[in-house]
Amino acid sequence: MSAPLLAAHGLTNFFGKVCTARNLDLAFQEGVLTSIIGPNGAGKSTLINLLTGHLPVQSGRVEFRGGDVTRLPVHARVRMGICRSFQIVNVFPQLTALENALIPSLAAEGRAHRFFSPVWRESAARADAEAALERVGLSERSDTLASALSHGDKHLLEVAVALAARPALLFLDEPTAGMNPHERARLLASIRSLAREGRTTFVVVEHDMDVVFSLSERVVVLHRGEVLCDGSPDHVRADARVREVYLGQEVEAAARPGALP
Amino acid sequence: MSKALPLAVPAVLLALLALLPLAGERFVTYLVIRVMLLGIFAVGYDLLLGRTGLLSFGHAGFYAAGAYALGFFSLRVSHHPLLGVLVAVAAAALLGLAVGALCVRSSEVYFSMLTLAFGMMVFALVWNASSITGGDDGLVGIARAPVTLPGISLSIARDAEFYYLVLLFFALAIFVAWRIRGSPFGLVLAGMRENATRVEFAGVPVRRYRLAVFTVSAAYAGLAGGLETLLESSARPMMAHWTHSSEPMLVSLLGGLGTLSGPIVGSALFIAIREIVQRFTEHWMLGFGVVLLLIIGAFRGGVVGTIHQVVARRRARGAAS
Amino acid sequence: MQSIVHVLLAGLSSGMFIWLVASGLTLIFGVLGVLNFAHGSFYMLGAYACYTLVNVFAPHFYLGVLLGPLAVAAVGLAMERRFLRGVYHLALPYQLLLTFAFVLIFDNLVKIAWGAGSLTPPVPAALRGSVEIVGRRFPIYSLLIIAIGPVVALGLWALLERTWLGRTVRAAASDREMASALGVRVPALYTGVFAFGAWLAALGGALAVPYVGLLTPGMGESIIIDAFIVAVIGGLGSLKGAFLGALIIGILSAFGTRFFPTFDMALTFLLMAAVLLVRPRGLFGAAA
Repeated sequence: MSAPLLAAHGLTNFFGKVCTARNLDLAFQEGVLTSIIGPNGAGKSTLINLLTGHLPVQSGRVEFRGGDVTRLPVHARVRMGICRSFQIVNVFPQLTALENALIPSLAAEGRAHRFFSPVWRESAARADAEAALERVGLSERSDTLASALSHGDKHLLEVAVALAARPALLFLDEPTAGMNPHERARLLASIRSLAREGRTTFVVVEHDMDVVFSLSERVVVLHRGEVLCDGSPDHVRADARVREVYLGQEVEAAARPGALP
Repeated sequence: MSKALPLAVPAVLLALLALLPLAGERFVTYLVIRVMLLGIFAVGYDLLLGRTGLLSFGHAGFYAAGAYALGFFSLRVSHHPLLGVLVAVAAAALLGLAVGALCVRSSEVYFSMLTLAFGMMVFALVWNASSITGGDDGLVGIARAPVTLPGISLSIARDAEFYYLVLLFFALAIFVAWRIRGSPFGLVLAGMRENATRVEFAGVPVRRYRLAVFTVSAAYAGLAGGLETLLESSARPMMAHWTHSSEPMLVSLLGGLGTLSGPIVGSALFIAIREIVQRFTEHWMLGFGVVLLLIIGAFRGGVVGTIHQVVARRRARGAAS
Repeated sequence: MQSIVHVLLAGLSSGMFIWLVASGLTLIFGVLGVLNFAHGSFYMLGAYACYTLVNVFAPHFYLGVLLGPLAVAAVGLAMERRFLRGVYHLALPYQLLLTFAFVLIFDNLVKIAWGAGSLTPPVPAALRGSVEIVGRRFPIYSLLIIAIGPVVALGLWALLERTWLGRTVRAAASDREMASALGVRVPALYTGVFAFGAWLAALGGALAVPYVGLLTPGMGESIIIDAFIVAVIGGLGSLKGAFLGALIIGILSAFGTRFFPTFDMALTFLLMAAVLLVRPRGLFGAAA
């Protein structure tokens, strides 16, 4: 087995007295689309925050392509290729959709520091930004202010901004929340095709079991800050502890053939 | 982002400004110089406040740093105005870099309070070190020597002549600000104003960028300060007081926060109103406070912003019909 | 030794005035999230109101102290209800600029009403006495002020920790939406807290009348800077921090004025910068 893209060793995090991550050992292989599921409070967002550098690691280690990134600040990790989207829409309200996507793409091209040349000359970054908007279906609204977008479009923009940096590893935190079925299907199709292209490895945190089981090659189940189960979708579905945690209902429903778009 | 004005407008304004001293009104010439100085100060300040969202109460300290640096340079080393201005900008930028490095580690209110502290430390320094800085009399007797370049010597002794030097720097300052605002760096600054966390997650080292724009705005303040020293032949401690820091804040808000023309329009309005109202009452700041209330309450975009809104509404109505 | 003790006591008493202003400032910031620039103006208005009441209406100082701050609290109430309420949803710079606009308005109104020069209030006979401390005479009034400071601190603590009202205020401070959902009339609460904060500052101003012996329209400006520094050092939103900060700044300023007259202006700013660089949120502020 080749070296994992991202590996976490013994991650432990306390929020006051509450343990949000308990000695987590987790590895993500390049090209393997993974979903992270778990009931509320399981520590999914905390895990992403720890891995992306948003939360400082209290104890444990994070390695990216074999190199220690535990103390690396957020922006440095992003430049290395670790990106994320946010559960609550976290974009730039007074900028247009295109401008929203331009900021990460400029940074990814290493052009964000240019202060004398006009932005409209940055063709490479502009192409990346437009491509990201195209992927999520927002091309027609590239000149609309982010604050003026519809709720579902805002969530699409959220994903586009994360995509625009063309990351090697992308954590999507509940990307389909707030989307209608059409938007959801479109986004999932985009994720599938992007994953197939091989540039970006996706790790998706989701509550929607249809999405999880149709999309993923691997499912990680978190419960109370620990990994409860980790394996292929079938393996997870069959696991007794997982069924117990989820009361069997959602997991069994998704096991029915033909339940997914 | 606002649509840029057709290039004709700034060109016409520049031409008008260039012709103004020829009209012969000495006092108006002096006033317009003051407008340009405040405009330079405010344009740089607005890069920090309107564009990046950082509120500094200490920028008067950089203004004074530029002023006193030019003063010392002129009195001790050389009277050459261009060199003096260069020294002023460099001094202010260096101080801005040092102070900024300490301040950008904090956010929001704490950032503002730290800038207040450093600005007032500059004030305390120039006030108390009277043997060097002249105390509350400041530095006086700074000459306005001719601009000497290989082959020519241009006098700037008369206000009408000095006017053109100021106009040159004014135009340069606006041009640089315009390029910065339209650049990738400028876009990232706007992002930082809206959502600094997301900018960090876009791969940008936010703190470093904050320091960069802080230093640039300090350099602008130093330029204005140095030019004022040449204008008044003196540098005074009140240049560093926090109440002086409020001027670029107020005029940017008045004219339109976050726009390029806003701080300039605001400077012109501020000085015009002050001159007019001062003839009737010494309490013109009261009226200004009321105006501020009005702007924050109803016309948050300032003069320029409100005009944009009106124009946009007209366009929308025109498109719909 | 003698001068050290006296300087210490002088520092404590001047610190208590800063505490009174900073306490209101901290309350307002902690509950409303607004940094009120006009708080120094409330202090000044309290002093002028007290002076006017005593000079024009009834020559009893305690009436001035009682009624003056109440009048200023009413001004604060009107200011919050009519103007401040509309800007809570705006970005921080707009809120600061709004309160700054009021500084301009209040300071100039005072200049118009009472003149730009300084006023010398008559000091009531009962408060003119002095007491011998370590061989030198020290004003009784200053000792009184040193006592009043902790009384106010204890009173505030009791109010916030031990009463239903205090608990409600604290709840609204930590989670506005939740409090509102639980039936608390948050807008009215905000107005009340703002007015109370104004009252505290004005009380400081009224009490300062016999202490400073001189009223000027600039007195608001000078105390607000000290109050800011104190509030920031203590940690914005922490009353305990503001009290401690006021003591430190009061004593530091007194020693600075007495022993290092050239640097005293910069000392307080240096201290604030030093504290913030080591503890970015102040001594007792919320963790960074």
